[in-house]
Amino acid sequence: MKEILKIQNVVKYYGNGSVVIKALDGISFSVAKGEFVAIMGASGSGKSTLLNVIATIDRASAGEIYIGGKQISAMREEALSAFRRDALGFVFQEYNLLDTLTIGENIALPLYLKKVGHDRAERELQRVAQALDIGDQLQKFPYELSGGQRQRAACARAIITDPSLILADEPTGALDSKNSKGLMQTFQKMHTALGSTLLMVTHDPVVGSYADRLLFLKDGKIWSEVLRGGRSRQEMHREILSVTAALGGEADVY
Amino acid sequence: MFTKLALRNVRRQIGNYLIYFITVSLTVALLFAVNNIIFGDEIAKFAQGMTEMRTGLAGFVVFIALIVAFVLSYATSFMLRLRKREFGTYLTLGMTRKNILTIFVFETAIICLIAMGIGLVLGLFIYQGLMAIFMHLLNMEFAISAYSMNGMLFTIALVTGIFIISSVASALYLKKVSIYDLIHGDKKVEKSVKHPLVWLIITVLTLVVCICSIAVFYWSVDEIMMKGMNANYLFLSLFAFAGSMILFHVALSKSLVYVLMKRKRFCSRGTHIFVLRQLSAVLGSNALMIGLLAFLLSFSVIAANVCFVQKAMQELSLNQNCPYDIVYSDNLYSTGDTGKVPLPQAEEVIESYKHIEAKYPYALYTTGKNDFYRNTRWSGEGYAGLTDSFMSVSDFNAVTQPLGFDPVVLNDTYLIVANLPEITDYDWENFTFTWKEQDYKYGGVTREYPSLAYMYFYVVVPDAAVEDMKKEVSYMAYDITDGEYDAASLRQALSYTVEREDGAETYERTDFRFREYSRQQENATSAILVVGALFAAAIFLFMAMAILALKTLSGLSDDKKRYQILYRLGTGEKEQGRTLFAQTFTFFLTPFAACILISVPTAMIIKHIITLSGMAVLQWQIYGIAASIAGVMTLIYILYYAATYMIAKKAVVHR
Repeated sequence: MKEILKIQNVVKYYGNGSVVIKALDGISFSVAKGEFVAIMGASGSGKSTLLNVIATIDRASAGEIYIGGKQISAMREEALSAFRRDALGFVFQEYNLLDTLTIGENIALPLYLKKVGHDRAERELQRVAQALDIGDQLQKFPYELSGGQRQRAACARAIITDPSLILADEPTGALDSKNSKGLMQTFQKMHTALGSTLLMVTHDPVVGSYADRLLFLKDGKIWSEVLRGGRSRQEMHREILSVTAALGGEADVY
Repeated sequence: MFTKLALRNVRRQIGNYLIYFITVSLTVALLFAVNNIIFGDEIAKFAQGMTEMRTGLAGFVVFIALIVAFVLSYATSFMLRLRKREFGTYLTLGMTRKNILTIFVFETAIICLIAMGIGLVLGLFIYQGLMAIFMHLLNMEFAISAYSMNGMLFTIALVTGIFIISSVASALYLKKVSIYDLIHGDKKVEKSVKHPLVWLIITVLTLVVCICSIAVFYWSVDEIMMKGMNANYLFLSLFAFAGSMILFHVALSKSLVYVLMKRKRFCSRGTHIFVLRQLSAVLGSNALMIGLLAFLLSFSVIAANVCFVQKAMQELSLNQNCPYDIVYSDNLYSTGDTGKVPLPQAEEVIESYKHIEAKYPYALYTTGKNDFYRNTRWSGEGYAGLTDSFMSVSDFNAVTQPLGFDPVVLNDTYLIVANLPEITDYDWENFTFTWKEQDYKYGGVTREYPSLAYMYFYVVVPDAAVEDMKKEVSYMAYDITDGEYDAASLRQALSYTVEREDGAETYERTDFRFREYSRQQENATSAILVVGALFAAAIFLFMAMAILALKTLSGLSDDKKRYQILYRLGTGEKEQGRTLFAQTFTFFLTPFAACILISVPTAMIIKHIITLSGMAVLQWQIYGIAASIAGVMTLIYILYYAATYMIAKKAVVHR
């Protein structure tokens, strides 16, 4: 399998002077094309920092990060913006939809930013809207939709540019259990039907159980790794619970 | 505790309060400077009639202050909205709305007090600057002017009034707003303007009305000056222009984005759709304010143009209306005059002021008939007593040659000298004047001579023709030695009392017209007009810019989140900067662009009026004045915009 993401000895320090916190402590791992990887860990374990560093919205203090074979840690700011636009897709806890734009405009915005042309943007919009079943919501504004619908729109926006890697930061954090389940089914659809590569940060063992592989972080280091193998979601869930219990039991249990 | 909290808030919010602070300081400075002029004794010494105008000007300043109060209330409510989350949090912590209002009013009071202090100090300098302009316009030497205590008290009273009005506006907002709205803001984003197509049609219609009203105004000026038509159409076109200007901007604000969003390809390029949606919300909800700002800015542009051109025209107008230093005309119709000064005695009085270098006598004669007037609109009912006036060609040449004109030669012809442009439009060429069995054919009609007699027109004829006519008015034009003199005092010395026929009233009059006295009068008028126009233009410009800036800045907390999303989606710093520029510059430009363009028709109309008045020489100067006013206003506007953009960029663009 082709390697989409490769991280080598990434270190991240926060603060300066006498108060310095080591948020990431020499992390190394890789994600193959088409893989669905979840990162779990307690609050302060460094999982959001890791995602931000991979998302290029924060810089690593040391180490190397390769996405699609490109070393992003060496890129300049403008090049990073273009890279983020072209190679990455994002799904955030707070949806991060622009409240002034319609759902259709929100989803198509990454294509507009890439200046792909109106006709192609329209075709792609219809394609992802059909795939994620939000074709009838395109003319609405975010405030007119439920949390689950908004997050599905955010997913559609994340995949519309067909990015190398989709990053999701606590995507179910603002959703109830029913909408969380719906969203994870959407993620699975993105993963299996559309072949997207996903890297997701979550607290929730149920959400984590949808992933192919789980990385557990503790004190800025990878503490454990769980592979699905041929196991069902329920089996994965049990495994996650036992790992989090060993980790310190700080993960949310539903 | 509230005092401490308010003081800490002022320190913490100093960045947010900056534009508000600058606006209040400049407003106080301008109000104080103008109030010093109104209430000070300096101008009254030089400008006759100033004392009488004081009440009127104070009323004008109060009117301006009311507009300022309205605008600052609007600005204060922006400041309130800018911090609504903070106030929402206070409410959830158990503070009452009264507590929050106390904190906010205390904060704004601190800002206003500091701004008033700085504004008053700044006003001292602006006052001296305005006085320097004033003195220059009065042709007087400038010296540091004294300040007026009344002016300062009036300014403080006005600013206090403005502050109370804006506090009441804040109280009303705080009273009705819900905690949810304070904390979460307005969740419902304006989906789109209702009936955008109707607004688009109104935009086009009001633009047509606006252009037509300018055309009608242009035409009315023609009709009034050439045919003596009444000014109904002129006023109608002015009202139509003002109304259409406001409505055009309201409709444009509501339809501009709609039109652009119809262009799908344009929308799907870069951040265009983002900018358009941002503008849609801000323009749509502020359409009326933009309309009013556009009106105020247009008023500033037109008023400044008219006043500066009036000043530029002054000398030419003086040459046209008072070609000689002093002109005497005997009043053959007056009765009951007492104390009338005989001419030889009057000349002695003049000599006591200035040496008479030359005298040019001339006279007007009448046939007692209206052969010429019959060809004009001044005939028939209501004009029975109006008879033609004639001047002999030798008199005419004697009085016009010293002014630099070539002598006129008439061979049994007549020459009509017109004071009104419409006289030249009548059909004179086929008219032959017959007097004492002698025919005088048309020899021309002209407006190139200055005004020697105060009537619509008179006819210059060969000397032989006036021999049998009755003398109507005798004139004596004087050239006196150059240099300043007390023209007002000389005029007073040569004035006398006239009793009306019913004996009920008397009034002062003089048979002399003094060029220097007219100059002083016109200087005072144009000085007041120019300074007044400058003041109004500056205030309106600052108000407009403050509103636009504060409106932009009050939306920054929401914009910050939106630009963060753009950043995460891969919009770089430069692209974000360009997007913010497109968003804020369009908002700033909407009420401003048309107002600056108004300079062009304004200059054209003024040029037309001046051409009709026979002062074509000023034509290019008018375009220069219009360009200068537009340039200065644009420069100030750009500076204010640049400050706003830099603050906004620092707040919302992610790096």
